[in-house]
This record gives sequence, structure tokens and C-alpha cells, in this order.
Amino acid sequence: MSTYGKEFTKAFFKENPVLVMALGLCPALAVSTSAVNGIAMGLATTFVLVCASTVVSSLRSIIPSKVRIPSFIIVIASFVTVVDLVMNAYAHSVHKTLGLFIPLIVVNCIILGRAEAFASRNPIPKSIVDAVGMGLAFTMTLGLLGGIREILGSGAIFGYPILGSKYAAMLIMILPPGAFIALGVMLATFNVMQRD
Amino acid sequence: MTSTWRLVVVLGSICFAASLALSSVYDLTKEPIAYQKKLEMIRSLEAVLPGMTVDPDSGYLDMQREDGAPVRVFRSISDGEVKGAAFEVVAPDGFSGNIYIMMGVQANGELGGIVILSHAETPGLGSPIEKEEWKGQLKGRSLENSDLRVKKDGGDIDQMTGATISPRAVVGAVKKGLEWFDKNKDQILTDEEKTS
Repeated sequence: MSTYGKEFTKAFFKENPVLVMALGLCPALAVSTSAVNGIAMGLATTFVLVCASTVVSSLRSIIPSKVRIPSFIIVIASFVTVVDLVMNAYAHSVHKTLGLFIPLIVVNCIILGRAEAFASRNPIPKSIVDAVGMGLAFTMTLGLLGGIREILGSGAIFGYPILGSKYAAMLIMILPPGAFIALGVMLATFNVMQRD
Repeated sequence: MTSTWRLVVVLGSICFAASLALSSVYDLTKEPIAYQKKLEMIRSLEAVLPGMTVDPDSGYLDMQREDGAPVRVFRSISDGEVKGAAFEVVAPDGFSGNIYIMMGVQANGELGGIVILSHAETPGLGSPIEKEEWKGQLKGRSLENSDLRVKKDGGDIDQMTGATISPRAVVGAVKKGLEWFDKNKDQILTDEEKTS
């Protein structure tokens, strides 16, 4: 497999940001009440991640290491604000549901983590591939977590009821404890799968 | 010394570039955001005053609530007559945080409907106050024809399974809103001078 392919796929399995590195758990737990919310959050994070990685990677020789963290944070925060404004303007209802968690992308460790550990040490194309991979893996994990919680907690997926009206929804799966339970089971399953 | 200056210059220029980018995005999204907010307002006004047309930009009154807080009363005016009024009320006694409600009252004192603007009630338990199945029963109620309390407190309004606090808070706020409307009826229904 080519290097680029490896940089891209590592995020889904060997270095999955949520399931292996346990990064970005705050948004992963908080907004995964439905599949749509999870995916929207994931895509917003992906956008910020790709933009921030590109800029950080292109500035990596200019930024002195003493001020690299504040510089990264400014770059990340700017892109998050852009996402916040653009979403508010063109995807108003999604913006309303995600609300507080959009500004919180700034402190998502995945983004600063990739900027610091990867983008600041690698050329631009490689950094972009890494960021796209990480972002999509994060989106996939959040979508999966949101889907599981939505099916169990409200008997629906993407808002369409699939389990029939007789299904007694497990309310706890939509509440915060359900997020921990679902994530725990996912982590365990993923670890067993990785072992083989 | 020169290396310190380098830190200042690099960080400063990054901040400068970020603020330039942000101000242009803000400019670009300002109008779409205002437009979305207006659409949202019109949608909720039409939902609380079914069958009436309300223009949020004209015919409103700026008044004061009982506690002195300012409230904007939107009115549906046709043929020189006020057919209905819509205004925001706040339920401070919800399960978690304030519940903001837009309520519409017809000229005869009957409720046209309510829209929950924002709330932080428990998802799945208290949050069904947003759903038509629950709040639909408020349509057509007035201070004369119903006892506006939840059934648990001896009134006419159904609470829902597993949650009494949220419905009680909403019903209480709506009742207060109706009483306020009743008290200020003359001003709301006749004050034509402030219409534009």
C-alpha cells in the first residue's frame, strides 16, 4: 500500500481517534443522540481539521516552536468560527441542535493533536490526507454511535421509525448514561476485533 | 532579542490574518443569518396564530411584562382590526433552566397555539412538550373555558408519562401569559397608532 493510502486508512483502525486514542470524547458523547447529529458534528470537525492541518503544515517552517501552540489555536479557532457562522447561515436547523458544541470544536483534542503531532512535521499533501482520514473516521464513529443510540433509544434511524410502534424505547440510550454505555460497548468490541 | 521579536511578529501576523478572514466571513454571512432568523420567527408566528398572517416587521407593540421585562407583542392585523397577538413568555420553573415559549392568543382570548422556542428539558422525558401531540391540546383553551393546570394539580391539561414538571411549567407560563393578555387586552387590541 502506498504511503498516502496508509496515512488515510490508519485513522479508521489502528489509530482511530475515538476508539483507540480516546480523543474528542466530549463531542462524541454529547452530540451522538442521533445519527444525523453525530454525522453533522463529524463533518464540521472534519472541515476544521482539514483546513487547520493545511494551514499549520504550510506555516510549519515559519512558526517558531515557542509560540506554536497559540498559533495553532488561533488558526483552529478561526476556522471553527467560520464553520459556526456558515452553518448558522445555511444549515440553520442543524446549527440549532448542535448549538454549543460547534464552538467547542476549538478544544477538540483531535484537531490540536493532529496539528501538533502530524501537520507541523509533515508536508502539506500528507497532512491533508491524514486530516481527511482522521476526520472521516471521527465522523464514521460518531455516526455509528449516534445510530446505535437512536435505534435503541427512540426506535428510529435518521428520524424514520424502523422498529414499529410496539417497541418500548430504551430512553436511557438517549440520555447521557446511554452515551457512556454505548461507547463502552463499542470500545470493547473494537478492541476484540483489533486483536485478531 | 531578535528571536523574541520574531515570536511577536509571527504570532501578530497570524492574528492579523485570522481577524481579516473572520471579518470577511462575518460580512458574507450576516445577511443570510438575519434572513434565517426572520424565517424562523415567521414560522413560529404562523404556528401560534394558525390561519392568520403576521408580519414580524410591522404592527408590533413593545410592552412590559408583569415583572418589568420588555416583551414584543406581534399582531395580526387585517381590515384595521387586530385578529390575534403573539408574544414570548418564559417558564422559569422547568426541570432544567428556562423554557422560552412563543404563544399566540386570538382576539377572543383563546389560545391559537404555542411553540417552544428553546428549552433544556431531559431529552425523551420532558422534551415532548415540543411535540404537537402534547401541546396541541392547548389550542382553543382560554381562561374561561378551561382550568389551566395539569391534571395532577386538578386542572384540565394532560401531563405526560414520566414527566410532570415540564408540562406544569409550560402550562403555568401560558396561563400567566393569558392573564397578562387579558389585563392589557385594550391596549393590544386597539392601539393602532404604533402600527407602521
